[in-house]
Parts: sequence; structure tokens; C-alpha cells
Amino acid sequence: MKLPAGNETIGGFHAYSGRNPPSRTMPDPFQDQQLIALIDRIAARSAGGARQADGEAALRELYDLTSSRLYGVALRVVTNREWAEDVLQETYLNIWRIAGDYRASLSPPLAWMGVIVRSRALDFLRRRNSERADSALELNDAISETVAGDSPDPLDTSQASEQAWALHECLRKLEARQREVVSLAYLRDLSHSELAEQLKLPLGTVKTWIRRGIEQLRGCMARFA
Amino acid sequence: MMDLARHPELLDRLAAAYALGTLRGGARRRFEALARQSPAVRTAALLWQERFAALTELQWAQAPGPDVWKRIENIIAAQKQPAVERPQASGSSVRWWRGATFAGAVATVAAVAFSLNLLGEVDRRDEQLAQLGSARATLASQNAQLAAQLQAKPEIQYVAVLSDDRSAASMLVTFDPAHNTLTIKRVGGYQEAADKSLQLWALPPSGGPRSLGVLGENPVVKLTAAENQVREAPALAISLEPKGGVPTERGPTGPVLFKGALLKTS
Repeated sequence: MKLPAGNETIGGFHAYSGRNPPSRTMPDPFQDQQLIALIDRIAARSAGGARQADGEAALRELYDLTSSRLYGVALRVVTNREWAEDVLQETYLNIWRIAGDYRASLSPPLAWMGVIVRSRALDFLRRRNSERADSALELNDAISETVAGDSPDPLDTSQASEQAWALHECLRKLEARQREVVSLAYLRDLSHSELAEQLKLPLGTVKTWIRRGIEQLRGCMARFA
Repeated sequence: MMDLARHPELLDRLAAAYALGTLRGGARRRFEALARQSPAVRTAALLWQERFAALTELQWAQAPGPDVWKRIENIIAAQKQPAVERPQASGSSVRWWRGATFAGAVATVAAVAFSLNLLGEVDRRDEQLAQLGSARATLASQNAQLAAQLQAKPEIQYVAVLSDDRSAASMLVTFDPAHNTLTIKRVGGYQEAADKSLQLWALPPSGGPRSLGVLGENPVVKLTAAENQVREAPALAISLEPKGGVPTERGPTGPVLFKGALLKTS
């Protein structure tokens, strides 16, 4: 299929994928160790006493190291700064409560936190949609500015897990629009028809891009497995 | 059912679509059923879930506003205080007011008892005013003063007893619509930290809480409120907020400490 030529947006969206691919850097295992140590200290606070204060200090450090990354995810899902801040708040309170579960997850720390922020963001949207039936995701130009505009910090894959690095390499091989549709399908938990509606694309086009995107990712990710 | 494990390509494709979320409806349910039976199907699904989860690590970093951390810190600090504040603080903070409408029989009984008490006080006040009234005959110069006092007589029409989650009464709230005055009396021993404020909210049957004002440190606080702000609210609540309170459109950000039904006395 011939794709419309040229620009980086689909339905008013910019994706990280629309710009020059971020520079390629290998994951930094030291960073992971640091984050894991902080999560452990948060989990250890239930012992009480001085541990409580230490847990709070650890949460603060974890927030300083990761909040801008998690906020980026929240913003991408809910598309509104204020909502994304509510989501971020819920995310760190969630991390505060369930830090003890981290060790059992076997995931890299940022991936674990990424799953939490996405869940909280999707919860937020579901709650909002059930409270206000008329508020089906309003996607406006403001958000494309929000997401693409003032981001001095390009994607830094040195903080990402091996898995994320592999996915990043494979996504780079997709065409920008395919990449965008695949990313949004996952991040916003959207069906084919919801994607078509939000991105103002024909349903057949969305289905084709998703199918091709999955095929190419399958081939590519298999090499990293 | 088909043995997907024998069709690795198809399995991989379905597992990827499942994890991405685009496999929907009956196809999704059939895949889930197969996964419960077959470790190979489960493994493929988990692998793809893990792969796509990495998308959360590939988004552009954005700086959140500076007050997000303060809100997190406040909620955690509030959870730590032993007495009245407990878990309702955080996870469901967006929805805590829902339960307030059903504030419970204890509060209702206490409110009625209290309103009778108050009405008694109003009666005594009436007697005093009556005495003043008899004095009026001889002391004409007091007329103006008396008129002012008569006008100032509170007309309590709404009462609420706000209790904590152990049903211990902690705040008495009365509303005088004639003078647009909300009076809040602290009766429990609760004292907020120096860097915190208590904020009073009306909980209307639909829509979010609306701020009625921030409590000062005095044992009795008077706030100005219009009757329509109060009348439509079946319940009131008090939350712990950063010093000075938060804007009403923001809604409560801290834990709700006290809540109770609002009752009309006449």
C-alpha cells in the first residue's frame, strides 16, 4: 500500500518514532542496580523505626531518577498534563505500597515501573470515561505540542533495559506510521477500530499496519531472544 | 481445540496480537482458554507481553510539575499519623467522597442530639433577647443595639457531625442560611501539623467535591457560604491538605479525615 507522504504526525500526534532515531547506547547495568536498591529500601520500611525514614528518602531518590520518564509515559497515554500528574502521583503511591512485590516480578526495574504507570493511566481513562460518557479521549493539537515540543531530553536508551533496547532497534526498522500505530495500540490499549477513530485513518489501513508491524517485529525480535 | 503448540508461526502471531491488545472478542477468549491449558501458549504470550511492556521505556522523558512530589509526600505523611488517618488516603483518593453519603447512623443520631442542644441554646438566647426587649421600654438608647442582636440571632437550619473512620465525632458543623454562615467547632483532639491545613468540602450527589473553605487553628471557625452551596450536598467532609488548602477545582489531594451526613433541622 502507498502511504501518505511526508510528515511526522498521524491524527495530530508526534511519536518519538517520528523524529530522528535516538542515538544508540547500550543499557547501563549500574543504573538498574541503583534502582533495585532503592525499591528494596522502600520495601524494607515496613520494619519500622529508622527504616521508615530511609524508605521515604529512597522513594524521593527513585522519584528524582525516574519521574520524568514515567511522566512521559503517563502523558502519552492520557494526553493531558494535569491528568498525567494525577496518574504519576498514583503511580508512586502504588510503588510505595507494592515495592515488596518487585523482587518476585523478575523484570528490570524501569520495565516494572513502566507497567505500573501504564496500568494507572489506563485506569484513569476508564474511570474518566465511565464518569463522563462524553469524554472519549479528546485528542487535540495541544498534546502533540506537549509530547513533541519541549523535550530537550532525547530518548536515552542507556537507561532502558536490554529488552527495551532490542524493541527500540526493531521499531526503528518499521515505517514511522506503523511504529506509531503499534505503539499507541499497546500504550492506550486500543482496538483496531479505536485506533482508526483516534488517528483518523481508515480501518483497513490500521489493520494492515498492525499486521505488518507485528510480522516485522516477530522477525526482528526473534534475533534478540 | 486446535493444538497451537504445533503451529509455532501462528502461535507467535496470535501471542503478539494478544499482548499488543489488538486480538479482541472471541478470538481473545479462545486464545486465553488455550493459554490456560498449554504452557507453550502461555510462554509465548508472556514473552510478547514482556516485549511490548518495554514500549513504556521508550517514551520521551518529560518533567512533571513540581507539586506532584509534594502531593505524594503529603499523602504518605498523612498515612503515617497514627490516629484517624488510614489507607483511604491514596489509592482511591479520587473517589473517596462516594462513601461519605452513607456516613452512618452514629453520625445521624449524634447530629440530632446536637441540634436539639443547639436549639436549646437558641431558646436561651431568645430569653435573653426577650429580657433585653423588656429593657427596651425603659432604655430606648439600646434599641439600635437590640435590633442588631435580633438580626444576629443564628437560624440554624443544617447540622452535620463529622466523624473519623472509627465514628468518633470530631467536628460539629452548623449552617445558618439567613446569615450565610458555616460554623465549625472542633470537638475531638485532632490537631493538624503546622504545615498542613484542614479543608471543608461539600459532597454533592453528582460531580466532585466543592471546597467550602479552609479551617483556621481556632476551636471555632466561621466560614461564609451561600445556601445553594450547602443545601444540595447530602454530606460534608474534611481533608488534610497542604498549608492554606487547595483550589476547589483541584479537589481534595490529601486523605479525608472526617465526614458525615448533612441534616436539615427544620
